[in-house]
Amino acid sequence: MTRANATAPAAGTARPGRRRAYGAAPTAVLLLGALYCLFPVAWVLVAATKSRAELFTTSTLLPGTGLLANLADLAAYRDGVFWLWMLNTVLYAGVGALLSTAVSAVSGYALAKFRFPGRGLAFNLLLGGVLVPAVVLAVPQYLLLSKAGLAGTYWSVLLPQILSPYGIYLARVYAAAAIPDALLEAARIDGATEGRLALNVALPLMLPAMVTIFLFQFVAIWTNFLLPFIMLGDDHRFPMTVGLYTMLAAGANQPSLYNLIITGTLLSLIPLVALFLTMQRYWRTDLSSGSVKN
Amino acid sequence: MSPHRPAGARTRRAGAAPYLFLAPAMVLFALFTALPIGYTAYLSLRRTKVSGLGLGKGARKEVFVGLANYATALGDGELWAGWLRVLGYGALVLVVMLGLALLFALLLDTLHVRFARFSRAAIFLPYAVPGVAASLLWGFLYLPGVSPVNDALSALGARVDLLGAGTVTFSMANVAVWGGVGFNMLVLYTTLRAVPREYYEAARIDGASETQIALRIKVPIVTPAIILTTVFSIIATVQVFTEPMTLRPLTNTISTTWSPLMKVYRDAFVTGDLYSAAATAVVIAAISVVLSFGFLRVVRDRAFGEGR
Amino acid sequence: MGTRRLSAVAAVALAAALAAGCSGGTAGETASPAASAGAPARPVKLTYWTWVPNMDKIVQSWNAAHPDIQVTVSKQAGGDDAAAKFLTAAKAGNPPDLVQAEYQMLPSFVAADAVADIKAEAGPAKAEFGEGVWSLVTLGTDAVYAIPQDSGPMMFYYRRDLFDKYGLKVPTTWDEYAATARALHEKNPKVLLGAFSSKDPGSFAGLAQQAGARWWSIDGEAWKVAIADEPTLRVAGYWGGLVKEGVIGDKPYFTPEWNKALNDGTQLSWISAVWAPGVLASNAPDGKGKWAVAPLPQWNASEPHTGFWGGSSTAVAATSPSRQAAVRFATWLNTDPQAVALLAGQGAVYPASVKGQAALSKDPDYFADRPGFWKTAAEIGATARGFTFGPNVNVTYNAFKDAFGKAIQDRSDFAAAVRAMQDATVADMRKSGFQIVP
Repeated sequence: MTRANATAPAAGTARPGRRRAYGAAPTAVLLLGALYCLFPVAWVLVAATKSRAELFTTSTLLPGTGLLANLADLAAYRDGVFWLWMLNTVLYAGVGALLSTAVSAVSGYALAKFRFPGRGLAFNLLLGGVLVPAVVLAVPQYLLLSKAGLAGTYWSVLLPQILSPYGIYLARVYAAAAIPDALLEAARIDGATEGRLALNVALPLMLPAMVTIFLFQFVAIWTNFLLPFIMLGDDHRFPMTVGLYTMLAAGANQPSLYNLIITGTLLSLIPLVALFLTMQRYWRTDLSSGSVKN
Repeated sequence: MSPHRPAGARTRRAGAAPYLFLAPAMVLFALFTALPIGYTAYLSLRRTKVSGLGLGKGARKEVFVGLANYATALGDGELWAGWLRVLGYGALVLVVMLGLALLFALLLDTLHVRFARFSRAAIFLPYAVPGVAASLLWGFLYLPGVSPVNDALSALGARVDLLGAGTVTFSMANVAVWGGVGFNMLVLYTTLRAVPREYYEAARIDGASETQIALRIKVPIVTPAIILTTVFSIIATVQVFTEPMTLRPLTNTISTTWSPLMKVYRDAFVTGDLYSAAATAVVIAAISVVLSFGFLRVVRDRAFGEGR
Repeated sequence: MGTRRLSAVAAVALAAALAAGCSGGTAGETASPAASAGAPARPVKLTYWTWVPNMDKIVQSWNAAHPDIQVTVSKQAGGDDAAAKFLTAAKAGNPPDLVQAEYQMLPSFVAADAVADIKAEAGPAKAEFGEGVWSLVTLGTDAVYAIPQDSGPMMFYYRRDLFDKYGLKVPTTWDEYAATARALHEKNPKVLLGAFSSKDPGSFAGLAQQAGARWWSIDGEAWKVAIADEPTLRVAGYWGGLVKEGVIGDKPYFTPEWNKALNDGTQLSWISAVWAPGVLASNAPDGKGKWAVAPLPQWNASEPHTGFWGGSSTAVAATSPSRQAAVRFATWLNTDPQAVALLAGQGAVYPASVKGQAALSKDPDYFADRPGFWKTAAEIGATARGFTFGPNVNVTYNAFKDAFGKAIQDRSDFAAAVRAMQDATVADMRKSGFQIVP
């Protein structure tokens, strides 16, 4: 980014007046967009500082005095089960996204770089999975996993979220563009096995796409609610979303723990934001790079 | 746009290797997509029958009822009304969300933007907020009394009920746009970044303005990506669920069958009629296929250039 | 039969794929069958789904005293979702051993064959409870399906200071309540006496009970469904009129906006139940010491009644391999003086046990300045009357939400909404094949 900005003045000297007119407007529009997207997040930040009394009395955008108390309450809630939810979420999202990335990458590679009977069918089937709503699948998945004795385990949340039609699609497009056929042929002539070829040649070239798939799937699992809600009975295995929901839907005669939920939401955002910021440099989504490059 | 690769050399007739590589995905597909779909289709043909009071052991059994559940699902006016509501909502979300995403992506790709990294990260951030949390916090922002937005509006003399009959669709669409614009922007933006800069320099030398470059060169380049994001957005819209579901407790204007998928949820989880839910789910999936099929073809032909 | 074959295929397929390394215990993991056969080598393990706050603390004292029966609490989301989740788990064959069951959901659990008849083990507990609440766990049959836990007689909560400020008297009849609402609206249109919520069928059911409604009853081998009976239509017409006039609110309960209205005095009273202090203390902390409690306004002042809103029981899953141990625990939890005291203190529930109610002495903090809260509650509770719930209350309650939401939105007739509830309930029961008295 910075490099692109550095070249700007040089390019701009040709028609300085006109360029400057464009210069301010895009920045302003983008900042407006950023403001729109950040506003609710900023609200969470402010609301998390309010005590229970302040949440429903003080002016909505003024910070309160309850942040530390809220954090302490949250940490003390059911002997610190919140941290367990956080750990569980990291586990589900981390392991799930890793597995998903691996499966997507080898599938995408196979679909992009091999011609074999059934290729079109396999791709259409896998991509068609996106058409089936998760709500529809959740109950039969639960019933079937129960039959296998897996309902309520960590597996019941991990396994159904490994397959990502979107990830396979992305991997296929990227592999088609990023892996030169000549390279594969040369390696084959050198006597490399297909497995070694995939592992040592193809997958390293697909790394940017894999980072993207990992992040997307990580977020998808991190934010998923319905599947773990249905699958899990033991609240010590809940991820964050389901755990926070038990605080919101506290039951007919119990109050919702709004200030804990808001503080918890804020805390659950922090790891994701950190992940984005550190991974941003690898972040690639070149969906159509296959057709644009050259 | 289709790259000039020597056909045939690109791919290789290989033995078992591709099948082995695809095996994990296909096994997962069979177990966690195909099998549950089959089970859903099976359930949709059945129903529980109770006898007498329906209390006590053995008073309830599952029977085969043929297409009766489908007849009920297709004859239910609420379901079709739900489709209409979703159509209006979907049109709104698609146009606004993808329009904004394209605008932001094009602006990010211009040379003169300041704070681009900040704006990009900020616009993408809502994507990381779980739907349950998103509607909780938008709920706070919509409800009069606890909403700074409402405070500001009434300070300006406008008294708007953001969850009223006339506004609730917009309020829901706003939550979807807020959560989705960053993802789509990023998809389009990275597509643009993959284009060599020299492409545009040539046009600049020919005297093209930035606007002209954006409209005449960049938009055609990202068209395949736009089509793709459209398909994914259409599918997501047909399946709209989280936003109405979580805003529903706050207002009288959203019924439990506001969207078709909410009806599935209600049947399966609230009224305990898994069988009707299965039938409705199959109908929804069929409509999704019809709606998306044409687009999917377009995606394969245009974005891939290798559909054939 | 077909189900079994399909599930066998599924089970084999899944098991084959996942056989390796999935040794983590499942949630369905309950008790070793040997344990219930007496003199257990290992303690019986029970799982318990509940949403009562601090239940794990209460259970700790059981676990400490009963090394042979160890209970694990899993805190769930409450309300409708909890019932749906339990029914799904029961259908799939891995429910917890014990579950918190709201009274209105218990018939649905029974109809789904998800909870056990514990008459043999729970018989002695009957003496601990009043007749009304006991009938809610027998459904008026010979069986016993749960042990009552808490109860929710409805009461009228109001802001003492603001009633004084506007010169209002506590209404003792519904006519007075309407007049008070109108008078207040005239004095200050910005504040409201109360509200009618389209999201809380339990509250409406309680108001109908107060008026003498009997939505379901059992007539021999058939159900009688009378949701659109005279008392219910009367209640609906009354609230519909007030909403149409605009003298009470029409926004749902339990939203942040509503919390604020209770907290800052925009809403002066709340028709609630005995559990309200917990909700008020948490969501309207500023009102501490300003609220007071009174009986509900009456239809007939000479014959005071109230209804129930909320309340739940502890049921044992039909498939639990350790039924005896589970019932022992459930009986202890809901009748043992020490356990009931913990339930009331830590769990903030109003116990269903008669002795438990009588033993309540320390007033809720929120009402600490007005002693005698529990005495008032007991007096009001004595006038409560309920009705048998049917096997598909969830359908009825869902119809309530949709029909009343729409009626409020359109300012249309509430009586029509009640009829929509009746029609939806009967249609669903007919579809399932229940025997219904015409």
